[in-house]
Amino acid sequence: MICNKILLIGLSGFLFLGCAPLTKIALSPGSPEDLAACSHIFPSGAWESVHKIEADVGGSISSSLLGITQGDPERRRLHSLLLTPEGFILFEGSADEDGTTIQKALPPFDSLTFARGLMEDVSILFLSPSGMAKAWGKDVKGFRFCVWESPNGFQSEVRELINQDWQILYRDAQGDLIKEVFLRGPFINGLAGFQELTTFRPRPYKLRMTLLQNGH
Amino acid sequence: MRRFLFLAILMMICLVSAEARSDQDLASLKEGFGNINSVKAEFLQKRTLPILTKPLLSEGRFFFQASGSLRWEYLSPLRSVMLQKGETIQLYHFSGGEWKPEMTQVVEARRMVIGEISRWFQGRFDDSKVFQHRYVSGSPGRIILTPGEGISKFIRQIEIFLGSRPGIIEKVEIVEPGGSRTSIEFRKMEINSNISSEIFEKP
Repeated sequence: MICNKILLIGLSGFLFLGCAPLTKIALSPGSPEDLAACSHIFPSGAWESVHKIEADVGGSISSSLLGITQGDPERRRLHSLLLTPEGFILFEGSADEDGTTIQKALPPFDSLTFARGLMEDVSILFLSPSGMAKAWGKDVKGFRFCVWESPNGFQSEVRELINQDWQILYRDAQGDLIKEVFLRGPFINGLAGFQELTTFRPRPYKLRMTLLQNGH
Repeated sequence: MRRFLFLAILMMICLVSAEARSDQDLASLKEGFGNINSVKAEFLQKRTLPILTKPLLSEGRFFFQASGSLRWEYLSPLRSVMLQKGETIQLYHFSGGEWKPEMTQVVEARRMVIGEISRWFQGRFDDSKVFQHRYVSGSPGRIILTPGEGISKFIRQIEIFLGSRPGIIEKVEIVEPGGSRTSIEFRKMEINSNISSEIFEKP
């Protein structure tokens, strides 16, 4: 009985720690250069890219696909295609401030829920966060750190890491982590050579993306 | 009037004989495919999409046995393989230093692709449930595949360019609605060489 209680307390503690928002980083007052540096990890001007995508769903199911994206950051517009290695189009959709549209899709990629989820991931990866830049500066180690907050209270934190790698943390209005993106250079006009996106909920999955070609 | 009638009859004879030659060519083509026991080749795939300023290039290799086995493998930019042995089709991708079975959700569309490719190399154009075919004689001879209603949203036409040796495919061009197209060119082709059965069983 006592053991069960200890186990329950232990599990509660683990779950609590697991869901707790990360501790806020103490920032030294930021300069406009810090905010500009955080924004430089996203492509500027009209661009296009081809990525190799390795997807892991729930740790047991995996797939390799090709992802093609065309972006227009000024209009916050994205157009994306998901292809099999043979070049067969599984999904083609676009997103802008008016919403998400499916141009072409095969089952099970033809639902609006899938399209919205995919385009949300693409937005987090390639568009500078929407909403207002709320805070920016450097942490105690001198790494840049910027926070954007959207009108619905969701936050995007962009953090510089060691070796010029970067991280994006996407949190809900309660501060719980929904997605985490790790970016490794070289950055070619804001397109990282390698990106890893981890989604924690509602269904966990991981996307590892390697940049194959890019253009303007 | 007589001259006109003569010309009309001559034209009809020419049309009928062209039709007969086309049937004959198609029959000799099927015979040509029948003489091919195995094919081994490399391929270069060029994917042109209106969204991309530069086409996307992929390289790979394939192994085919007329008994109904096919290995269609991409070496770059993604490492991926489709294996067919009889009715069994397996798909794998290379990730994290090992071959992993492909996610079931994307398998169905790719099963259809490998099924069609396998039929092309066997010359079994009549067997396709989704494409109508016609033979265009010439140098090179071509097989034009036109899809049925469901597939026409995705593929407008497939053109198969035949080689000088009967039963050999040199190039395939797939045209989609909206200006997208794929061309696959085969090279370093080896005909009727020995291929180990393991090639079609394991990634």
